Amino acid sequence: MNKNEFLNLLQKRLNGLPQSDIERSLEFYGEMIEDRIEEGMTEQQAVKEIGSVDEAVTQILSDTPLQRLLKEKARPSHKLRAWEIVLLALGSPIWASLLLAAACIILAVYILIWSLVVVIYCVDISFAAGALAGTAGSVILLAGGYTLSAALFLGGGLICAGLMIFMFFASKDTTVGIARLSKSLLIKIKSMFLRKEQA
Amino acid sequence: MDIQLKRGLLDICVLAAIKSEASYGYQIIKDIKPYVEISESTLYPILRRLETAGFLTVRSAEHNGRLRKYYHITPSGLERISDFTQEWKEIMSIYQFVVREEKTDE
Repeated sequence: MNKNEFLNLLQKRLNGLPQSDIERSLEFYGEMIEDRIEEGMTEQQAVKEIGSVDEAVTQILSDTPLQRLLKEKARPSHKLRAWEIVLLALGSPIWASLLLAAACIILAVYILIWSLVVVIYCVDISFAAGALAGTAGSVILLAGGYTLSAALFLGGGLICAGLMIFMFFASKDTTVGIARLSKSLLIKIKSMFLRKEQA
Repeated sequence: MDIQLKRGLLDICVLAAIKSEASYGYQIIKDIKPYVEISESTLYPILRRLETAGFLTVRSAEHNGRLRKYYHITPSGLERISDFTQEWKEIMSIYQFVVREEKTDE
């Protein structure tokens, strides 16, 4: 790929971002390629060292606030005429509720994902409570002379303790995984605002 | 290394690279690379973030018949670096404590 091909592809992929943002990224990547060529690299080599367009787009997206993307999407491509404003106002019961519904769905997905984390921690806490109650119960039963019941309680308590430790590590990993998942989900949502290139 | 930590460290590294004199993108990458892994696609958002935060300013200057962007550190950027070194002095003393504890354990 040469410099122009790289920059053209980047421009296409960033379509949907504010124009000034696109220009700045193109300037930045163009300069980076130029500087490498000046150092003696061939154009092909220089482009190769810059990395992939995908990576560049992902990084730019992850650093662009969602509000900025929304604003750009909502910005009309020309000045609104009077009748268009009237139509927008009259149609607002429809488009506003659709927009609200879309926002609610995204919110619901996030709540769903994170409630999974809460559930796992709750289970872990209940195992911890079971472990404590089991051991405490066995001590009381032993003091009362119920040796067999005490052994049963102690066993139950130990099983709970084991499960608690196991669940703790499992829940830690799950939290990290889900944090990553929701981050990549956000990038997916953001990339929905980019216009797909016309084939 | 922890992602959040690395992100914070990269911010400081970029500021450190332009601390003594203004520098440009490719030079910043070359300066930082021996210490931390950094690529164009990571540097670009960092520069934008630091600019928005007021830690650096961008000025275009002519170079070999084309424009090149030079990044200049601001007083608050310098302050950010000194905050960082101050913070890490504390972290290093904690580190010394942790390492010493390990030794006496053996």
